Amino acid sequence: MSLNDLKSGESALIEHIEGDMRLVKRLMALGYISGTKVTVKGSAPLGDPIIIKVRGSEFALRRKDAKNIYVMEA
Amino acid sequence: MITAALLGNPNVGKTTLFNLLTGSNQYVGNWAGVTIEKKEGYIGKNIKIVDLPGIYAMDTFSNEEKISKQFLINGNVNVIINIVDASELNRNLYLTLQLKQFNKPIILLLNMIDVAEHRGINIDCKKLSQMLGVTAIPISASKKIGIGKLLELLNNSDFFNAPVDNNFHFDNEKEMYSFIENILKECVSEPKSHVVTTTEKIDKIVLNKYLAYPIFFAILYIIFKFTFNWVGQPLSDLFSDFIQNIFTPFVLKLLANSDAWFKSLITEGIIGGVGAVIVFLPVILALFLGISFLEDCGYMARAAFIMDKLMRKMGLSGKAFIPLVIGFGCSVPAIMSTRTLESEKDRKLAALIVPLMSCNARLPVYVLLSSVFFPGKQMLVIFSLYLLGIASAFFIGLLFNKTIFKNKDEPFIIELPEYKMPEFKNLMLHTWRKGESFLKKMSTIIFSASIVVWLLSNFNFSGFSNIDNSLLSYIGRFISPIFKPLGYGSWQNSVAILTGIIAKEVVVGTMGVLYGQNLRGVILNYFTPASAYAFLVFVLLYTPCISTIATIRKEYGKRMMFFSVSYQVVLAWIASFAAFNIGKLL
Repeated sequence: MSLNDLKSGESALIEHIEGDMRLVKRLMALGYISGTKVTVKGSAPLGDPIIIKVRGSEFALRRKDAKNIYVMEA
Repeated sequence: MITAALLGNPNVGKTTLFNLLTGSNQYVGNWAGVTIEKKEGYIGKNIKIVDLPGIYAMDTFSNEEKISKQFLINGNVNVIINIVDASELNRNLYLTLQLKQFNKPIILLLNMIDVAEHRGINIDCKKLSQMLGVTAIPISASKKIGIGKLLELLNNSDFFNAPVDNNFHFDNEKEMYSFIENILKECVSEPKSHVVTTTEKIDKIVLNKYLAYPIFFAILYIIFKFTFNWVGQPLSDLFSDFIQNIFTPFVLKLLANSDAWFKSLITEGIIGGVGAVIVFLPVILALFLGISFLEDCGYMARAAFIMDKLMRKMGLSGKAFIPLVIGFGCSVPAIMSTRTLESEKDRKLAALIVPLMSCNARLPVYVLLSSVFFPGKQMLVIFSLYLLGIASAFFIGLLFNKTIFKNKDEPFIIELPEYKMPEFKNLMLHTWRKGESFLKKMSTIIFSASIVVWLLSNFNFSGFSNIDNSLLSYIGRFISPIFKPLGYGSWQNSVAILTGIIAKEVVVGTMGVLYGQNLRGVILNYFTPASAYAFLVFVLLYTPCISTIATIRKEYGKRMMFFSVSYQVVLAWIASFAAFNIGKLL
């Protein structure tokens, strides 16, 4: 299951992140670490990007990157 | 002299603090080789503060991070001032732990402490200082709380001689974050229950499926109107009116007994040149007041967010939409505003395509030719030119994105910060600094270029002359064959295109001088409808003006300037050629 499978308002725990190493590195630095709770807060009117909340801060992320963030049910 | 490096995450109030500490005693430049602002300021004579770019970490990929790292290693830094958001320590302390690796004393400023306390967050500063090996001070830069304590530390030389211990060693991000979580458990208590924040309430409306775009376009409309209709442009017009109708006649009276060439030098050359510079100032100030407001209140990140899907197609982030819209008013402030975009690639690509958006100065040319050659269809012709400008921008964006900017994409992730009321002082400083740098850096280029064009259009090898026999007209005659295939190869048209580089509206004025009194009648002999439209296409797409060129040079350097000018001229020629030949068939 990836972040894209969550509906607006749903939360899950991060399992692991794949894809562009630079983005993985950036996300890890922001605390997107396995076991961390992540909530999908909503999406842009056109459905992409999405807003996710981790460790109290909200970030916008594109769907093509969000699909590389694998999550498990909390 | 003590050098303090100021670091922190984006959106934690770093700029507010920097402005508070250094006031107007600031110097803004560029870091070598990149388009990132370098800001230095002084407190008194002995403390220099270098404001490093807002970053989340030290170990990823961005230029901002590389610069900060280089500076901490090579910049003779005595102390690191690390400002963090007191309500978001969890994420902010990651950077702090990385800063520890540089073995410098660290002052940790827990900013917006008042907001944190209001939310029921309590921080044990003493314990936090001990556990991290830093000096933590609670402050509020906007409310001026705790600043005295900071100054006291900076002025205390003992502080810099104290040994720095760094016993931290982490193998990966996970270890760092569990370390941070442990510290927070010991030092911070916060309420469990979640309250709906003001930011969430505002976002419910501003990012709403149906309201998001109407709100965005309304805001854009207001900024555009503010810049070009309500405040900026009217002030500019007032300036140029004053220069034209009061100042110039006054000077002419003083020069009543001088030679014609001298009068012309003073009024057309010098006053004209200064006027060309000064009329931009109000527009630039008005625009940046608006942009700084959007930036500081937190809306800009939302704009980038909702426009991302559209702008991404041409390889730009959503935020780049704003400079492009401003380009409809004037390319100069639009290019200046590309500097606020996140990545190097975004800034450069946006600056390259902004001039393709049809600015106000091109309108008089459209109006003249369309009313002569397309009576009754003027609106349609003018509208098609605006559309052609947008289409060209899109096409060129796509093309450059796939070629010169290939693989320069930076991962897209933007923070949606909490909304807050912008600080008046920040707005004013930021706005004024833009105007100041425009006057300082660009006025000389614009001014001297205006004088050169004046010389060329008023002199030939035997002395002072009319424009018909000027050096410029020789050049016009020389280059006119280039425009033959486009259907408007008369030397007068070439000269009009050349003088259009001063400002596009000058094209009309030059035609008036060269073709004489009965302009609208005479030009019928020099254009067909097809070639008139082709001419308009050329005017739309070729290099906007000296001021735009000077702006690109100032913000992005010589290479970008040459590239911008040459690709535009080539594009204009090709598009004009196509327009002429298609037009002939119709």
